[in-house]
Amino acid sequence: MPNNIEQKIRDEARRLLTEKVVDVVVGYEEGTLPLLAAPCFITAPEEVDRLIFDASCKQNLAGYVHALIIEHRKSQARVKPEDKTEKTVAVIARGCTSRSIVIHLQERQYERENVVIIGVPCQGYIDKNKLSDKASGKEILAGKLDGDQVVIETAAGESRFPLEEVLAGSCLTCAWPNPVISDFMAGEEVAPRTTEDEFALVERFAAQDENQRWAYFEAEMNKCMRCYACRNVCPSCYCPTCFADQSQPEWVGAGINPSDNQVFQIMRMFHMAGRCVDCGSCVEVCAEGVDLRTFLKKLDYDDLKLYDHRAGVDLEKPSPLASFREDDPEEFILEP
Amino acid sequence: MKAKLIDKTALAGVVGGLAAKMPVYAPVRDGRRVYFRFLAAEDEACLDYGNSDNAPKNLFFPHTETLMRFTRTARGHELVEDEAANQDQEMVLFGVRPCDVRSFTLLDYVFDQEKYTDPYYVERRKRTVIVALACLQPPASTCFCTSVGGHPAQADGADIMITEVGEQYLVEFLSEKGEKLAEFFGQLPEADAKTLARKEELVENAVAAIKTEIPGAMIKDWLDKNFEHPFWDQIHQSCLGCGTCTYLCPTCHCFDIRDELEGDQGIRLRTWDTCMYALYTQETSGHNPRPSQKQRWRQRLMHKFKYFVDNFREISCVGCGRCVINCPVNIDIRKLVSDIGRLMEAEEESNG
Repeated sequence: MPNNIEQKIRDEARRLLTEKVVDVVVGYEEGTLPLLAAPCFITAPEEVDRLIFDASCKQNLAGYVHALIIEHRKSQARVKPEDKTEKTVAVIARGCTSRSIVIHLQERQYERENVVIIGVPCQGYIDKNKLSDKASGKEILAGKLDGDQVVIETAAGESRFPLEEVLAGSCLTCAWPNPVISDFMAGEEVAPRTTEDEFALVERFAAQDENQRWAYFEAEMNKCMRCYACRNVCPSCYCPTCFADQSQPEWVGAGINPSDNQVFQIMRMFHMAGRCVDCGSCVEVCAEGVDLRTFLKKLDYDDLKLYDHRAGVDLEKPSPLASFREDDPEEFILEP
Repeated sequence: MKAKLIDKTALAGVVGGLAAKMPVYAPVRDGRRVYFRFLAAEDEACLDYGNSDNAPKNLFFPHTETLMRFTRTARGHELVEDEAANQDQEMVLFGVRPCDVRSFTLLDYVFDQEKYTDPYYVERRKRTVIVALACLQPPASTCFCTSVGGHPAQADGADIMITEVGEQYLVEFLSEKGEKLAEFFGQLPEADAKTLARKEELVENAVAAIKTEIPGAMIKDWLDKNFEHPFWDQIHQSCLGCGTCTYLCPTCHCFDIRDELEGDQGIRLRTWDTCMYALYTQETSGHNPRPSQKQRWRQRLMHKFKYFVDNFREISCVGCGRCVINCPVNIDIRKLVSDIGRLMEAEEESNG
């Protein structure tokens, strides 16, 4: 049985496809593993019943929107101007997804008309590592959501616990669970989380001394196998050629070694300044469990504390790096 | 072949004894995960694991490997002699699951053939003794070794096979290389006929416990004929183009070679490559024969279930399930292969 939100998503998707308002609806469908939805692409009205939405729907889908529109544009490169077509993409968007779309729009990647936002109120998604801990590392054979509870089955039997205990870190302090822009809302808005302790993670980390901080960073980066899942899932990582893939000049070595891993991650993270919406997708897709969030959240922290800016929240407020104010703080700029 | 019995509690000591004498590459628990790595003094091999998170292929074919060093001089580039440390030292790969053991047989086809021999791989392979650990329970419900020509207790390629039988381990020395390690196991009683029969029974149960079945060997016929098929238009759509599946795959073996310079000191580096990357097969001219993820995904499936079979008569998938478990967007190779199976059935039906 579809839940209320799912029913609304499906009805709206059916309408958009039937009336040919959009070419494709990007959403989530049931996956092949317990409590893990898969991104899906619906192009026919009769397929809309595949769409689902619950806490098993994880990654930010805005990257697909960008890829679909840009790919389509590229495919039109040799089409006569009068025959050119535009691609319109509908997307199931929670708060973070909509913020990524705002960033795309601010950065002039596509037009507002290219995207139809089916907004969903979001209660957060399941963090795979926390879920694995609940199963004591055993394989989860089956799992389901039961209201605000999660029920899993392992070889040791069934267990039940509150969803809250396995929600991703990003979701636990999320101030924008509802889309910041949308064309349709599939359900009642939910209350934002209290955000007093949003930066507790950053403050705890910053309170350590330099050596401790570096040791932690080093240990985390050493786990990286350079599969680039973090970069590839990130909606803000859309450069046609990533610096990590360039060979002339070669900005970063291709091998797995401590310094090249660190350089790759540091450079990627700095590109996220004022552009990271803390959706947690990079953390969720990482097969090695690298803690990227502690460092990305620091950028978010600086974005707020220094520039009073939150990434992708307001279409009229571009990131500090893309705008100029005479009174921008600059204490951190060191004299040579 | 000798078959001996060892107490369960004694096996850890054997691993410790080996590690004191030579490098031992074994599963080690690290937080939530289990990785194959060289045992350090403080490490303890993890013997009650399902399967490791990384594939043990790293030992023979590491992600990053320096092939040679050179110096840039006024006269051109000069090779720097590498000190060949421990080049002939024996190593032990301990506790490998049968699917991963099978991956070495498949990798041998590529790296150790008459025409092309990869000295780096072959050299490490030659001096490594492989101690396998049979699966009496499938490590995960995503396991499907029996669908791709494997078996939860298959011993081909292993030098020693260890099978848990009740309160003891049955240790079978399968090769000369394996027998050379016998001294580390101490004086052990011979396994009696009853234990050997019990093992057979357990292995049969293990086979029955694998629930996932895919038409792994059947789809080649379809792949032969359907390079252009609408099927390929769908499967790659959600793919992020990351390297998770191929980097964790025990049989994926594509690599890239590049030179990296620091001042005048250079290294020639070999790193893993993956058909999932946009740079894969990108040519210097800018042309890419596999310009989108569609062609790259077709390459991945075709390589495993057709090209490798054409070349070496084996499927290049051992059914370990690592790509299934770790794909961030749940692209499930079991589903893709089964979908092709269903397409074949449908086509057969419509052809009468």
